[in-house]
Amino acid sequence: MPGKIKTPIEFLVALQDLDIMIKEIEEVKALGFEVKGEGLAALASAREDLVLKIKKPLLAAYERLRNRYKRAIVPVKDDNCLGCFMRLPTSITAHGRTDKEVLICENCGRILYWLS
Amino acid sequence: MEKVELVPYFNESLFIPALRAKTKEGVLEELVDCFVEAKFLRNPTIALEMIHRREQLGSTGIGHGIAIPHGRTTAAADVMIAFGHSKNGIDWQAMDDLPVHLVFMVLAPPQELNNRYLPVLGRLVEVLSEPRQRDKFHTVTTFSDFINLLKN
Repeated sequence: MPGKIKTPIEFLVALQDLDIMIKEIEEVKALGFEVKGEGLAALASAREDLVLKIKKPLLAAYERLRNRYKRAIVPVKDDNCLGCFMRLPTSITAHGRTDKEVLICENCGRILYWLS
Repeated sequence: MEKVELVPYFNESLFIPALRAKTKEGVLEELVDCFVEAKFLRNPTIALEMIHRREQLGSTGIGHGIAIPHGRTTAAADVMIAFGHSKNGIDWQAMDDLPVHLVFMVLAPPQELNNRYLPVLGRLVEVLSEPRQRDKFHTVTTFSDFINLLKN
């Protein structure tokens, strides 16, 4: 059974997922799904709570990257950063899958998330 | 809306003809776990967090016994749909307050090459809005029959 998110990278990914959800609300609503007024308020409140759980320098990096690239966190597939498509060094790939550390692509600076 | 082919987004390993869970929360976990077991997801916690947030926005129970929990998550590699059937029905706080028997969980990455997520979601809603088609999904027990239904 899945537990609750607890590591910094999990909080960051949850924040990015929430930001995407908020941005796409109108498109999803147009498909016929229910979107409650209080639901929107709940998401805004959830974002505020989530932000408090992320250390300030990490949050600042997330916001800076989001402004620059639209997506601050990018997937890693086959040891490649899917933001800039550069191959990641083994010093980084050796630690990625544990979700215990926040790792950055040395080439583009985006935050990395391992898909598999 | 463009007629999107839904078949490629389903997979036998994401097909649950008889859900074990008896509650909405349990069904969401069971389907997310199914994505993990099928190796479409690595971290179930992140996907489940997103799915819960989405339910906060409004119920994904669209009525007529159908729910389509959905969302984009950084943890997903591709657009994929898991299907689960509950014989007894689940209280989902659906739009029509009827219990939910058919659950289609749609997960998608933040960005995809062909931007298929919203068209796939829209096509799924369209297919399940057709009463005769919808009723047939209630009786399907095998993945091949399920896929044949989608093809027709």
